[in-house]
Amino acid sequence: MLEMRHIFKSFGRLRVLEDVTLAFAPGRVHGLLGENGAGKSTLMNILFGLMAADAGEIVVDGRAVRIGSPRAAQALGIGMVHQHFKLVPTLSTAENLALAMRERPGAVGLRAEAWLERLGWKLPLQVAAGKLSVGQQQRAEILKALLTTDRTAQGKSGRTLILDEPTAVLTPQEVGELFAAVRSLKAGGDSGGAAVIFITHKLAEVESVCDEVAILRRGRVVHAGAREGISVGGIAAKMIGEAAAAGPVEAAVRGRAKGPVKLALRGVRAGMLRGVSLEVRAGEILGIAGVDGNGQSDLLAALVGDLRLRAGKVEIGGRDCTRMGIRERLKEMAVIPDDRHRLAAALPLSVTENLLLKDYRRRPFSRAGVVLPGAWRRAAREAVRAFDVRTEGVSIPLARLSGGNQQKVVLARELGLAGKAVVVAANPTRGLDIAATAFVLRQLRAARDRAGGGAAIVLIHADLDELLGIADRIAVLYNGTLTAAPAKTKEAIAPLMLGMGG
Amino acid sequence: MRLLRRVFLPLVPPAIAVAVSIGLLALGLALAKYPALSLLREWFVAAVGDRFNIEVAIKNSCPLLLTGLAAGVAFRAGVLNIGAEGQSILGAIAAAAVATRLLPGLHPSGAAISTALAAAVVAGALFAGIAAGLELLRGVPVVLSTILLNFVALQLLGVLLEGPLKTHLTQAVQSDPMPGAFWLPLIGGSLVVHAGVLIAAAAAVLAWGMQSRTTLGFELLVTGLNPAAARYAGIPTASRQGLVLLFSGGFAGLSGAIQTLGVGGHVLTPTPESYGYTGIAVALLGRLHPVGIAAAALFFALLDQGAATLETSATPLPHETADILKGLITLALLTSASLLANRRVIASQTAMEGTTKAGSAAEGRAV
Repeated sequence: MLEMRHIFKSFGRLRVLEDVTLAFAPGRVHGLLGENGAGKSTLMNILFGLMAADAGEIVVDGRAVRIGSPRAAQALGIGMVHQHFKLVPTLSTAENLALAMRERPGAVGLRAEAWLERLGWKLPLQVAAGKLSVGQQQRAEILKALLTTDRTAQGKSGRTLILDEPTAVLTPQEVGELFAAVRSLKAGGDSGGAAVIFITHKLAEVESVCDEVAILRRGRVVHAGAREGISVGGIAAKMIGEAAAAGPVEAAVRGRAKGPVKLALRGVRAGMLRGVSLEVRAGEILGIAGVDGNGQSDLLAALVGDLRLRAGKVEIGGRDCTRMGIRERLKEMAVIPDDRHRLAAALPLSVTENLLLKDYRRRPFSRAGVVLPGAWRRAAREAVRAFDVRTEGVSIPLARLSGGNQQKVVLARELGLAGKAVVVAANPTRGLDIAATAFVLRQLRAARDRAGGGAAIVLIHADLDELLGIADRIAVLYNGTLTAAPAKTKEAIAPLMLGMGG
Repeated sequence: MRLLRRVFLPLVPPAIAVAVSIGLLALGLALAKYPALSLLREWFVAAVGDRFNIEVAIKNSCPLLLTGLAAGVAFRAGVLNIGAEGQSILGAIAAAAVATRLLPGLHPSGAAISTALAAAVVAGALFAGIAAGLELLRGVPVVLSTILLNFVALQLLGVLLEGPLKTHLTQAVQSDPMPGAFWLPLIGGSLVVHAGVLIAAAAAVLAWGMQSRTTLGFELLVTGLNPAAARYAGIPTASRQGLVLLFSGGFAGLSGAIQTLGVGGHVLTPTPESYGYTGIAVALLGRLHPVGIAAAALFFALLDQGAATLETSATPLPHETADILKGLITLALLTSASLLANRRVIASQTAMEGTTKAGSAAEGRAV
């Protein structure tokens, strides 16, 4: 029996895990569920020795243990298969296994073959890992986890196998084969049944493979128990928050007519998107709900012009701009990407420079290609005041500001300096505290309701509570397909987010 | 305070790097039973206390400043142009071709020199353009293509000096001497140097102006710091990076021409002086800023010149000692830069937590 008791973990001021206590029994598959950022990965990284908890203990068979590294975890029989594989692509599977075991490839081969036979898998051990399919690479990773915990698994504590969203990358058939393997590991054999910790977003998988269900929400355990003890709807409600799931959210009744269609996608196929169509009118917010990884980043890229379409059209202001580059689209479009540090700002540059990141070319900020720093500073001071950015000055690097204030700078640039007709925002409140979150939502509302024609806003957002509070309409992006929500309620939307119904 | 922070802080890593490197070199000399301290003193005196040495160092710093600028403008935009060497060879070839073969009778001197320099700039830029084109069309990394093109340039120089550019005056593998109208005129009063100093200084001013005062410079800066954000800001990063590579090649081409038209025998030989490679170290020591690059170029040239004198001292040191010191400085610089970057991340995180606290407390009231 493996237990995690009273685990706490913070990153800076952000509390990621609060008093998490869970037990993982051998011979059972433990589903670990929760929204993005609920703390699942952090918890498992602590269990696997990749991070240290701030407080709390890990207990194996009644004895408290210290897990300071993955090697220590493996010595205790704990193996982990990460979402992103960690194979050396130029080495064969056998060599990758040997690398992990610190043994010669020949010595590892036989044991690997034995496992393959037991799991009923086929995997060419001598082929370079980079040439394997994604499903095969995952098998190699699982083999690695099994072999590195083999020696200790013979002991009394047994084996614990952590699978971090293993089905995200698999085809339906591969999912079926993975589940068969998981059941076989759980049943065990000579070495006794393993405890399998199965991290997932997908409720259907919980039903078909899990024996126990633990649900994290905002770093706390909100439910733990046998799977029979809770309905699928109950799981969804626990994941997303019971209070908000209780009833329909009142749509704000606003007495103004919506404007013309300002932004439209027509049958867009690109990246993960499989025929996405949508229309947004001036003065409305279309919320795109869904769990990240279902095409959210591709939708943003397709709207902005950073992704080539296989089929379909993008229209801005009624004009076909499918073939336009980013620069041209930005004339009409404000963009607030979710990856603030990578896409929205340049942290080493000053607050001023970040505020002028898009407007530097127009007057009064430059003339004939020569920049006019005075105008930059004036505009920056004005924007900092208008958006209440807390900063020592406009010439300090953006990196020195807090996350909330960095986001205010981005908002000031996108919503303040020039009121664009179309706004595309993705997870604009991610990582922000309550006050900053409220500020961001208020600004989006202000852009929608501004006098003289509000903006048409697409809000791609993983936080359903916030979406319900601000969006005029909601559609759900699941597995590259966009489905309009039948009603603006949690009950109507949550199953769609998890790939059920619709 | 702000001025102090802007001017003084950037000087800290190079200053530390130089001090640490001199210390390490002294240690090495002492271990090898050389009189380290007196040699260093002698080196210093030779470098800055001798008019002839200073004049030569200033002359030599000109091509170094230009290759430093070539590396600097490219690095700042995130373009790893390691090909200043080859681009500068192409510049030298172009200048020599104009002066000895294409337009040898060109007059007056002003027209002759500016034609040769213009040809060099174009040749360097076009040669860099090969790398830009390979990246744009075939995705070949610039860091690889430019370094490989250096060897192509070197071979091309050899072929041309055996063929169309070869002199008929001697058996030596070299070009004809440049006609007098193409010689860079000597300038100066108490220190006599050639007009290449003015050209190099003008190039530095041009680079500074482009970087800090134009929208293009801003686009290049953003592209260098965060290419993805630059793209999302609508900056056509690929074409801008291609453009900066042409600029970079132009500076390097100019460097080759100045060396050919400004030095000693005024002939082109098949053994260039590797200013292209040293320019990379100069750009790093100068922190990619044109003024810093100018200072670093002069510093390196003085080191070389001083070291040449040490060969004839009472306890002679090979002049390659200067190269060792330059290498140490580059290493120390890279180390200190990364150490400082780590510290800065930590510092900014701490600062961030402070401001979040203050910010959210204040916002709590406002909401």
